[in-house]
Amino acid sequence: MKTKFINEANNITKELLEGFTMAYADQVKLAKENIVVRKNSKSEDKVAVITLGGAGHEPALSGFVGDGMLDCSVVGDIFAAPGAQRLFEALQLFKREAGILLVVLNHSGDIMSANMASQLAGRVGIKVKMLITHDDISAGLDTPDDDRRGLAGCIPLFKILGAAADAGKSIDELYELGERFNKNVATLGTAMGKCTHPQNNTIISDLPEGEMEIGMGQHGEGGGGRQALISADDTAEKMVELLATKLQLKAGDKTILIINGTGSTTLMEMSIVYRRAAQVLQEKGTEVVFGRIDEILTVQEQHGFQMIIARVDDDHINYLKNYMSNAPYWTAIGK
Amino acid sequence: MEKITIGDFKKMFNQAYTDIKQREDEFSQLDAVIGDGDHGTAIVQAMQSAVEAIDKGAEFKQMLNDAGFNVMLQTSGSTSTLMGGFLLGMSDHSTGEELNIDQIKALFKGGLEGVQKQTKAQPGDKTMMDALQPAVEAIVNSESADIRTIMESAANAALEGAKATVGMKANFGRARNYGEKSIGYADSGASSWACMFQAFSKSL
Repeated sequence: MKTKFINEANNITKELLEGFTMAYADQVKLAKENIVVRKNSKSEDKVAVITLGGAGHEPALSGFVGDGMLDCSVVGDIFAAPGAQRLFEALQLFKREAGILLVVLNHSGDIMSANMASQLAGRVGIKVKMLITHDDISAGLDTPDDDRRGLAGCIPLFKILGAAADAGKSIDELYELGERFNKNVATLGTAMGKCTHPQNNTIISDLPEGEMEIGMGQHGEGGGGRQALISADDTAEKMVELLATKLQLKAGDKTILIINGTGSTTLMEMSIVYRRAAQVLQEKGTEVVFGRIDEILTVQEQHGFQMIIARVDDDHINYLKNYMSNAPYWTAIGK
Repeated sequence: MEKITIGDFKKMFNQAYTDIKQREDEFSQLDAVIGDGDHGTAIVQAMQSAVEAIDKGAEFKQMLNDAGFNVMLQTSGSTSTLMGGFLLGMSDHSTGEELNIDQIKALFKGGLEGVQKQTKAQPGDKTMMDALQPAVEAIVNSESADIRTIMESAANAALEGAKATVGMKANFGRARNYGEKSIGYADSGASSWACMFQAFSKSL
């Protein structure tokens, strides 16, 4: 039985990308099937910033293609990495002397496609450098980076890298700027209820009423432990503590705080969570220099949110706040 | 036999494709013990893409490069990454239309290096590396002047390596989560790569 406003299940990705690029035709277009690019491509003397990932997480990742952010997003089917072939096509489109920075969220399928496509690109003279994000901390605070997933912490990273790339930074400078952010960002998801895969209606996460799980991945896969539902303040405190411990935050640090709704969380709930999280960060003596309450990377109708905290330096703050972007879903504006 | 031609090489890969296809289900069943049960399908698809390009080739370097691209672009998953790396590595260490014994040693050594760029797996981890590395070492270390003898020793080394995985505990990738439960079954990748080297030898 259908539970969503869709047509043929196999056409979901194609149709959603068509709708998206039709609505935001002043900012984005489809260069080829499942390859979203800016409407006006930037000059070739600047580094192109490209990412890849499965559909089903709207507005991520294609919603962040636009001037001042991503140059291109290569989209796979629902929750599935695009194949190396499609990614290789995109890399060919953006071949340039300045190079391509390929930002990859740490999920095995995405990494594999990215590895293959970049190797092949290298053999035909396309300069590609891979930057891998792994902001999830649900696998444990001591878990090596390789085993941590990439969650919504990639979105502020896209803003920083996109602004810096458009400003003319070299590929090595961008990589260093991005790695510096990756080392200082941590994300934790929490969820309740259930959500379903849009193509086959399989329940991809199912928590009994009255229970929640902290440490949820972005395909419903469990990460942390289940527990009885607690208040927004208690949830926020628990999550900030874990994130702050991971980042070893200390008084005087400048931080950003983002509450990302994963599909059916109200802005009301997200705002209440944000309030307490920001208070705790302030109580720790850190200065929250940038905040967002928004849906930036969803998991279908999952009721829950991801909390993203990063310790940022002046470069990060500058590119995050002082440069405009017209990416359709980057709704925060400059200072 | 002192040289192999492009024609011989095409026969080797076609034989490997045929033999692997025949044992497809067996490889998938082995994979189902400690993986997602798709290795048979994956290795058949990878070999099919490789053979498609190899059949069109006229010169070793270009042919193996095209085959590597074909495998990596047409199919996905770790099996094609490894097979693609093998072909691209061989391409980097070959040239011309026929290969003498020293060139064959360089070819397979290059193939192994190409796979090592894709995976950190070592012999003993219960992976395809348990078949590939001994096979390549047998080729490189052989003192024979006959290619048939050399490739036969490679086939034997690969087969022994694959058999030895039965007693190993998976130590790599997702399979390592199975720990002790992985003991008692041969690794699917080691088995299919051993099958490939046996077919190479048989075809000459």
